[in-house]
Amino acid sequence: MQERVVPIIKIYDCLVVPIQIELDDTTVEKIQKQILSEIENNDVKGVIIDVSMVDIIDSYISYTLSETATMARMMGCYTVLCGIQPQVALTLAQMGVNIKGIYYAMNLENALEILAGIEE
Amino acid sequence: MKEQILKNLSNYLELLQERFGHEKIWEELLISVAEYGDSDIYHNSIKESLEKILEVMKIDEVLCALDIITDKIEGFPKEDLLKYIIYIKNEYCLEKENNLREVKEALTELATPIIRIWHDIVLTPLIGTLDSERAQAMAEKLLLFIDANKAKYVILDVTGVPYIDTVVGGFLMEMIKAVRFLGADVVITGIKPDIAHTLVKLGVDFNNIIVKRDLETALKYVINLIEKR
Amino acid sequence: MSMLISIKPEEYDFFVRINEEKDIVIARQMVKDIAKKLGFSLADITKISTVVSELARNIYRYVGEGFIYIRERKEGKDVYIELVAYDRGPGIEDIDLAITGGFTTTKGSLGLGLSGVRRLMDEFSIKSEVGKGTLVIVAKRRRSF
Ligand SMILES: Nc1ncnc2c1ncn2[C@@H]1O[C@H](COP(=O)(O)OP(=O)(O)OP(=O)(O)O)[C@@H](O)[C@H]1O
Ligand SMILES: [Mg+2]
Repeated sequence: MQERVVPIIKIYDCLVVPIQIELDDTTVEKIQKQILSEIENNDVKGVIIDVSMVDIIDSYISYTLSETATMARMMGCYTVLCGIQPQVALTLAQMGVNIKGIYYAMNLENALEILAGIEE
Repeated sequence: MKEQILKNLSNYLELLQERFGHEKIWEELLISVAEYGDSDIYHNSIKESLEKILEVMKIDEVLCALDIITDKIEGFPKEDLLKYIIYIKNEYCLEKENNLREVKEALTELATPIIRIWHDIVLTPLIGTLDSERAQAMAEKLLLFIDANKAKYVILDVTGVPYIDTVVGGFLMEMIKAVRFLGADVVITGIKPDIAHTLVKLGVDFNNIIVKRDLETALKYVINLIEKR
Repeated sequence: MSMLISIKPEEYDFFVRINEEKDIVIARQMVKDIAKKLGFSLADITKISTVVSELARNIYRYVGEGFIYIRERKEGKDVYIELVAYDRGPGIEDIDLAITGGFTTTKGSLGLGLSGVRRLMDEFSIKSEVGKGTLVIVAKRRRSF
């Protein structure tokens, strides 16, 4: 059984992953593994990663998030990053970070809306 | 030196008063030099009287006066006084710079209106020349506003911006990117040919940015999108 | 090592030794508190902590051990926060390349650490000697808006 570091909740055909712990490198990697194995075990269309409680996203965390999104996509799943704090958004933009292959939403409601709007 | 100064104080002062005026301040300076000029410890009373002199006299006059006194008084620490003068001038420049910056920052506040014009729509008309300081302040304010109001669309109206250099263009692009990280969309309007040129040179990817000719078209576009939802 | 040591550790108010992964988190939490006490804006506090995260991670990843020093610096009415990352690791062969965005020697990285740090701060300087170590000094001015 995969180690669980964050709670993952299934809503409709989506997985919601609220991140409410400090993200060190090992934790980010564990979250990635956990998300991928949950996608494998559930038939879902999207993953919503809620980062509204995360107050630092640096280059390594961004990289891992975008890698996770790419892997999820290969498993048939779209990823939405939701609730990025304004100061984190400013920092990432100024650093020149692009988190590729990901959708952005203000809150859970918007995230679900975005996923519902994706036509396959 | 101390005795020489104190013995001939009234003579020196008469001379200085005749040529430069401000007898009282000169008296203060000469006395503090007499008291503390021999020690090589930096002394506040000397600095203070020099400050007073520099306030009322031009620097070249002060230098001329110091030359005259140095001629008269044996061992007069002219070089030390010059060091003080340089120090005071430096402090003064720094202060002036800071004041300028404060005024600039106050203007920044005024010149960055952010208006909520519809449920989900925020309008930011940019006015005047943008420098990087202002651009950063604006980005911070705009992002907090979007977050607090949960706005979905941001109309960035650059009609009032005559010119954007590559640095500011870079900041604008950063701001647009930051807005998108929040999950809001940006519509730009009022781009003049010059600005378009800069943005293209910066390698801005217009695929992800919606551009509309003028504010009216932008508004219609956004309202239409909202009603469709 | 002499060329690199142009800082005096005793002149810094705080330091964190980096030699475990959790030290990256400790360092960024610590600088966050300090920047907050110095009155930096929330956006700037976030930028400064992110910078420490990048610098500390580079030390952890490429060297294994090093230090982050932190101090407040006053210039006239201005207040700066100054951060130093210092290690005695392998050094960086081509500094210009290392501070170019997108360059990395690690698989699984954006290569945006140093270039990002440079863009987030007001002052940036880096010294490195192959086989001897790396010294990065950065500072940010407190803004009043
Ligand atoms: N302290 C250091 N000692 C030795 N080499 C370093 C050090 N810091 C950085 N480097 C070298 O400089 C390169 C660029 O560093 P930078 O932090 O910009 O990107 P990265 O660490 O590769 O990726 P990222 O920070 O985006 O995860 C690194 O790949 C590494 O080769
Ligand atoms: Mg790095």
